[in-house]
Amino acid sequence: MYRFMEEENGLAVATKPAAEPDARSIISMRNIWKTYQMGTEQLHALRDVSFDVRKNEYVAIIGPSGSGKSTLMNLIGCLDSPTSGEYWINGHLVSEMEDDELARIRNKEIGFVFQTFNLLPRATALHNVELPLIYAGIRSAERQEKAQAALASVELGERSLHKPNELSGGQRQRVAIARALVNHPSILLADEPTGALDTKTSYEIMALFEKLHEEGNTIILVTHEPDIAERAHRVITIRDGLIESDERIKK
Amino acid sequence: MNFTETLKLAIDAVMAHKLRSFLTLLGMIIGVTAFMVVLSILQGFNSYVDEKIAGIGSNSFTVMRFSMDDFKDTDTIAAAQRRNTDLTFEEMAFIREHAQLIGEIGAKAGNTSRDIKHGDETLTNVSISGAQPIIAEIDKLDIAEGRFFSNAENDNSARVIYIGMDVANKFFPRGDALGQEISISGIPYRVIGIQVAKGTVFGRPMDNFVMMPLKTFGAAFGGLTNSRAPTFSVTAKYPDRFDDAVEEVRTLLRIKRKIPFGEKDNFGIMTPDAITGLRDRIFGSIFIVVLAVPAIALIVGAIVVMNIMLVSVTERTKEIGIRMSLGARKSDVLRQFLFESTLLAVVGGVIGLIIAKLLGVIISQMMFQTVIPLWAAILAIVVSGGVGVLAGLYPAWKAAMLDPIEALRAD
Repeated sequence: MYRFMEEENGLAVATKPAAEPDARSIISMRNIWKTYQMGTEQLHALRDVSFDVRKNEYVAIIGPSGSGKSTLMNLIGCLDSPTSGEYWINGHLVSEMEDDELARIRNKEIGFVFQTFNLLPRATALHNVELPLIYAGIRSAERQEKAQAALASVELGERSLHKPNELSGGQRQRVAIARALVNHPSILLADEPTGALDTKTSYEIMALFEKLHEEGNTIILVTHEPDIAERAHRVITIRDGLIESDERIKK
Repeated sequence: MNFTETLKLAIDAVMAHKLRSFLTLLGMIIGVTAFMVVLSILQGFNSYVDEKIAGIGSNSFTVMRFSMDDFKDTDTIAAAQRRNTDLTFEEMAFIREHAQLIGEIGAKAGNTSRDIKHGDETLTNVSISGAQPIIAEIDKLDIAEGRFFSNAENDNSARVIYIGMDVANKFFPRGDALGQEISISGIPYRVIGIQVAKGTVFGRPMDNFVMMPLKTFGAAFGGLTNSRAPTFSVTAKYPDRFDDAVEEVRTLLRIKRKIPFGEKDNFGIMTPDAITGLRDRIFGSIFIVVLAVPAIALIVGAIVVMNIMLVSVTERTKEIGIRMSLGARKSDVLRQFLFESTLLAVVGGVIGLIIAKLLGVIISQMMFQTVIPLWAAILAIVVSGGVGVLAGLYPAWKAAMLDPIEALRAD
């Protein structure tokens, strides 16, 4: 293995010319393994998983619990590193990165949307949306402007000074989506985003994802509900740590 | 994340639990308060003594039978008692005659304690002393009413007295003390002067005294020997040659007493420097002892701060996970909690400082002016901050080392 270092966006990026991923791919996973050591047993949560996601795709990852779906999501979200294999996101080889570089990638390239929203309870909606910008080192005035704009784009511009407990579940999830989008990430990574919402609100949130997709965002949705997964344009099914199927849905 | 953002975050966190923050800081507050109060008392006492010395005249010194070094221990006291002899008026006359560098020289004889009476009223344990008339100038006495003794009164052993304000107020509440009589050991004395009130020092009244002409004192109490032997109060003629004046008096007395070269003085000379030196020696050791109390309080305080920071990290595991998922680096999380513990401790230091200042005001009214020096205030804040950093290191490190996946899963 030979590689050289180059500076790009202030990040040291290790590149390997031989296996350069498809330039149109935002995400490129190559032979990813994730193995946990449980005492003397080895547990393979992911076995040799490879797939690509292109810009402006809308992908659902579906699978039963214990399928390795959560592990895959943590890897895509750069919260964890694979045991072996290569993971590229937007030209960065993430699988080789140290903790601080991973934090930068999470900040710049990934917008998380969680099932339980994960907003800071004591902070206003505006401050919650500002958080990724704070860690990106953006100045206060610009930050507030951007955060306000992001809230306006999810139709919560009027509620920016409310705290999470003063908002409905749907509104909270929209604040979380605004927070995920505020740094213009490469992908929007949603983990069961409707899991804590009623049916009507779920449809609203799914409609919002559709709109964001139309606006050019790349979306990866992790779910165990087939009817939610069907809203996506491509469905990857995981079972026992392997990709069972990868289908495009005709719309 | 930059400095102001981190600071804002720390302020938010401390303010979110005001009572808890306060209780956490009690140890710190007590430590800082104790430190500052002790220091302000010492400082206040120091400037009080300096002021008193300036009042007496830093230009004067006292010659007496024993030196301060003689009081080091019982052996030196015993040795000095064998060697040193009472000062005599002959010796004073010799010094006055030959000294070139001294301004005034006068004799005092010191304090015996008696009950004194006026009519039916009695004052117990009043300090009685004798002084030559020149002492009024040497000691810069503040006369409130009347006058000090004349030379004629001293020469004739006249039964006249100069009294402190407490004595005057007790016996003559209507303020008509001058010319009245006070009886001491059955002999009546006429009041001719009253001293301006000096208040108390460490609760000891300074205005509860009677002074009479030196000869009168000798005659009334059985001669100017032993504990009633005279001491000489001397001023330097030229303030900038004070040390030379002291040396001159020492040399003259050695000549008069025929002390061979190389042998120790068999008398003592007390200069203002010697007084401040003694004070520094006494308070130096007190200082070290009293510093131990705040130090222990600070250590306990630091442990409490550390404990509460550990609780805080555990409580906010989810928050840490969220922040990490949004791009917080380990160093951001570390700094967040380190700032929090530091701010907490500094707030404790500031509260301690404020309480110490308030206590200082009370002490100033009861005893003497206390002072918190600026360097001590700054030191207290810096030390508190340092304690905060140390106490926060482990909890902050624990927070920074959290696995984001685990942290996000926490409730």
